[in-house]
Order: sequence, then C-alpha cells, then structure tokens
Amino acid sequence: MWINMGPQHPMTHGLWNLRVKIEGEIVKEIDPEMGFLHRGIEKISEDRHYNEVITLMDRTCYVAGIAWEHLYIQAAEQALHVTPPARALWIRVLCEEMQRIASHVMWYAAFVQDLGLMSPFLYGMRDRDLLLDHFQSFTGGRLTYEYMRVGGVRNDLPPGTTDRMRKTLDWLMDRFVEYDRLCMGSEIFRKRCDDLGVLKANDCIAYGVTGPMLRSAGVRRDLRKDRPYAIYDQVDFDMAIADSADVTGRYLVRMEEMRQSVRILRQVVDWLDKHPGPVMAPNLPRWLGAPYAPVGREGYLLKRNYPKGVGLSAIEEPHGEANAYVVNEGGEHPYRVKFRSPVYVNLSAAHKYLVGYHVADIPPIMGSVDVCVGEVDR
Amino acid sequence: MAASTEPKEGPNAAFLIVKPMATAARQFVKSLVRPSTIVYPFERLEDPSFREEVKVESGHPIGVGPIWDNYRGVHALNIATCISCNLCAFSCPDLCIEMVTVPGGDPKHPKKCPQIDYGKCSYCGFCSDACPEGCLSMTTRYELSTPNRSEMIYSPQKLHEVFERKLPMNPIRLERPENEDAIRLDAPLCIGCNACSRDCPTSCITMVDTPKPTAKPGEKLPRRIWKEPVINDSDCVRCGTCISVCPKECLFWGTHP
Repeated sequence: MWINMGPQHPMTHGLWNLRVKIEGEIVKEIDPEMGFLHRGIEKISEDRHYNEVITLMDRTCYVAGIAWEHLYIQAAEQALHVTPPARALWIRVLCEEMQRIASHVMWYAAFVQDLGLMSPFLYGMRDRDLLLDHFQSFTGGRLTYEYMRVGGVRNDLPPGTTDRMRKTLDWLMDRFVEYDRLCMGSEIFRKRCDDLGVLKANDCIAYGVTGPMLRSAGVRRDLRKDRPYAIYDQVDFDMAIADSADVTGRYLVRMEEMRQSVRILRQVVDWLDKHPGPVMAPNLPRWLGAPYAPVGREGYLLKRNYPKGVGLSAIEEPHGEANAYVVNEGGEHPYRVKFRSPVYVNLSAAHKYLVGYHVADIPPIMGSVDVCVGEVDR
Repeated sequence: MAASTEPKEGPNAAFLIVKPMATAARQFVKSLVRPSTIVYPFERLEDPSFREEVKVESGHPIGVGPIWDNYRGVHALNIATCISCNLCAFSCPDLCIEMVTVPGGDPKHPKKCPQIDYGKCSYCGFCSDACPEGCLSMTTRYELSTPNRSEMIYSPQKLHEVFERKLPMNPIRLERPENEDAIRLDAPLCIGCNACSRDCPTSCITMVDTPKPTAKPGEKLPRRIWKEPVINDSDCVRCGTCISVCPKECLFWGTHP
C-alpha cells in the first residue's frame, strides 16, 4: 500500500511529499517528491544586482540564512575580483558559526519533538532565540539578515558585542550539557534511536551525502578542515566524528559540532577585540555599492570594461557541503548563478536509510537528516 | 574529537529516566520565577519599563535593551526633508516602493515621496541605506496585521505618522565612501536643454553660458542653446536623476574630482 506522508505532514518539516510503500508495518519502497517550494531563485538572481541576490539567499535556507549569504558572497567576490578586508572575513565566520549553532539547536528542537518529547523542543527554541538576538544586534534581522555585501559586510559590530557574546557562549555550553542529559541520559531515547536509519560510509560516498550524516558514518570530511575557506585555517577546532552511522550518531555529531562552534566563536571574538579595522573593501566600483542609481551610458561601458570572471565557492553549511557558482559576463547582474544544496542530495539517498524500517521510525530518521526544504527546492 | 556512542544498556535504567526528568523539573522551577517567554501583548520588547524589569540572568542575555533598536521594521519617512531623489525606489529589489506626489511642491516640479507596499516589502533595508538625506529609515515597529490588503500600502503621509511617533530608529547608517564617483559632463554632446538642472532634487546643477563659437566657412554650428550644466559636487547626492533625464546621454559617472 502506498501512503503519502506530506506535503502537509508534521514529519516533513517543510513542504515535500514522502510516498511510502508499506507491507504491514515495514517500509518496502519510498519515493520522495520535492519541488513544492520551488521559487526559481537561480533564475531570479540573473535579474538582480550582485548585492540584491543577498535578499534571496536568506530565503534559500530559512534556518541557516547567513551561511548561504556567506556561500554566495564568496563566489560573487571571486567572480568580481574583489578582496574583502580581514576583519570582514572574521565577522563572516562569526556569523556562520553562530548560525551553525542556531541551526543545530533548531534541528534538535524539531527532531526531539518528532520523537514525541515536548520539553526539549521548548528549550531548544528558547536557546536559539539568544543567538537570533545577537544577529539582530548587528544585522537588524532575526531570520533574514541581509548583512553581507560584495567586498565585506554592511556594518561593523556595535560596541559590546563581543562581551555579550562571551556571556551567551558560557550560557549555551551549560545548555548543551542539559540537552545531553535529556537525550543521551534517557533510556527511552537510546532505545528509540540506536541502530535506526543506518547509512554506511560507502553508501554515503556513493550518493554524495555530506555533512553530519557523512561524519556520523565515520568519514573524516569537513570542508572547514579539508579545504579551509575564509579564516578557518587560523582557528583551532576538531572535526566531530561518530562511528555508528545511525540516528544516535547524527545526534552526537551535531552536539559535538555545536561545542566546536563555541570553541571557534571564542577564538573569533578574541581576534575581533584585538583587530579593529575596516569591514568593506576600499575602491569598489560605484555600481557595486548599495544605492543603485541610474547607470546611464555606463551600463554599456560596464559590459565592455569590467573584467569577466567565474566564482566557485564551497562551504560547510550546517546541513552539509553547499556550493555556489557565479558567472560574471560583465554588467551589473550575474550571468548565471547555480547552487548545490546538501539536503537535496541527502534526501535523494533516502531509500538507503528508510527501506526496511518501521513506519513509526520514519519521523525520527527524517528528523535526523535535518531537512530544510527551502534549500532543497530553491 | 570522536564522540563515540556509549554502551547501549545502561547499568541502571531507572536512573537514566530520572536524569531527564530532573532536568525538566529544574527548568520548571526556574520558570516559576520568570518565564522565558514574553507575555505579548501585555509586555513588549520596545517598552522601556519592560526592558528594565527583565534582567540578563533570566534567560535573556541581550534580547532586550537598546540593541533592539537595530531591528528593521516599518519605515519612518520625514516628508519635510525628503528631496524626491528616487534612490529608495531604485534600490528596492522587490519593486515595492512607488514615488507618489505629495502636496507641497510647486506645480511644475511636484514633490514625490515613497509609498511602500508592505505586502511586497522584504525589509532588506537597502532603501534606507540608499537614502542620502536620512529621511527614510527603519523603525522597531512590527505590528502590521490587517484584515484588509489595501491597508498594507503605506502612503507617504502614513509613513510620516510613523516618523512622528518617534520610535527608536536603526542607528547604524551606511557611510558614503570618500572618493565617491561623481557626475561628469561630456561637453561636446550637450545641447543645453536644462533638463538636468530642472529635475535635480538638490538644485546643485546650474546652467552657465558657454561662448558660442564662430562658425568657420562651410561649417554649420549645431542647433542648441549655448549653456552648459555645472555640478556642485559637495551638494550632489549621486541620485543619477540627471543621467536618466538627459536626452543626449552626455552626463555620465566619472571618477571623483
């Protein structure tokens, strides 16, 4: 019997449909249907100024908006031959790691609620808000930040941010202990999640699965370590690895990643305290700045004069490896923008980790994948 | 660091269930003192008395305080200082800003101020970044719900009402770069039509007479008014209005003088 889990289903965490063929209680076949949230972001980007694409990036993944801003802006800067100042790079890493914690805490809240536990959901949502408060203090937004610009970031951190950040990080470290007590300390949680949704390392590699799912299978692969971008080669942190390849393993990897993110953030705020400086690259072309005044005949000159280029960036997004490809053929708009979404790939291997388990196991398994449909469909 | 899984069967299953229960109980006691949530609409983040009441220790490290002022909410428009330069509408990625006529301008040169459709607005803040006079800025106002879709369109007067409520405004403003590009004139193309000077929102363009050259035998002088625009760079806000109205494309963006 085929049943539809979705498009409106508490398991989906978004808008997609998981068609499941069952025999009794056992899943025999699955068919994920995606595309309900397709907004054509790649195509719209071709009609936007380089900076205006940022507004779309925040809506690509609505729990990790600033990570996607970082991804796009790296590719755009490479295509436009712009080098941002060092302080901007550190602020970007600050944003990305804060976003990683926020995204993982959000995942924790949603995943644990899939298991039927209500209190951890409330704790997770409460603690995520603290990070959103920080984001609001320097970007002005809580979900759609619109913070990064080609050549740097919009504004510097307001005074006192680093001190408040240290306070929050201490507070969060205590909460992580609490999370572990609630989940790993619970026999019910362990019985539910151990040996569930197993995706072995060779399957992960064959399907291109990345992120915490891959690391939970024991594969040492983290772009921040393997191909350090921004300033990740200057901070000290460890890769989070588990070996069980199941739902518990993914939980452990994400929990460890949050602790490592706190470790990175402590180094970043120390650096930012010691190194004041500009956050925007000097001597940017006028048409790359924020007020897009009419260009007049410069529009024609732009196409001829500005050097063309291609930008390719890859970052370790909270869900996995995301890539962006930006083609600059001259002019004010990118000629082509292309994204690789990690969750799209992770979902397409779903039959490997769903078939053979019970129907009641689908919510925890899909919860452990951390689906964000905004970036799947783009 | 490798986070290895612990043994699956704990030594004392009853104890393992007690652990999460004790954690939840501790949170419950904490919440009796002061809940983590804000009891909206009886408490509001922008309310100064509420800001003082909630202390850092109660689960809000920074959630309240002057930092809240950076929030990008509904715009405030000061009609009196708006110069109708059109930059906000031009920089809007959602095309939700329309310049509409407001009373106060002279009939030949009507004053136009932004009207914002909040059904489309994405609150990106590019318009307030672009505003050269600082008359359009984003406030902490966030209550927008309405049963009527047409009420989502805020006229300049309605945006001015938001301004008059003196809400905290986003204090972080973009600084314009020092060596900003300026508008330059390609003199041989100019026909002296006065369009740029007429439409300049800051009146920084003046038309000055240019000497009419004497025609050589057999040569025909171009048919034009013998005047040329002179741009006062210190007053110019770089809105590009002159460039867009110039019929001969003789004005262009050049390097800083």
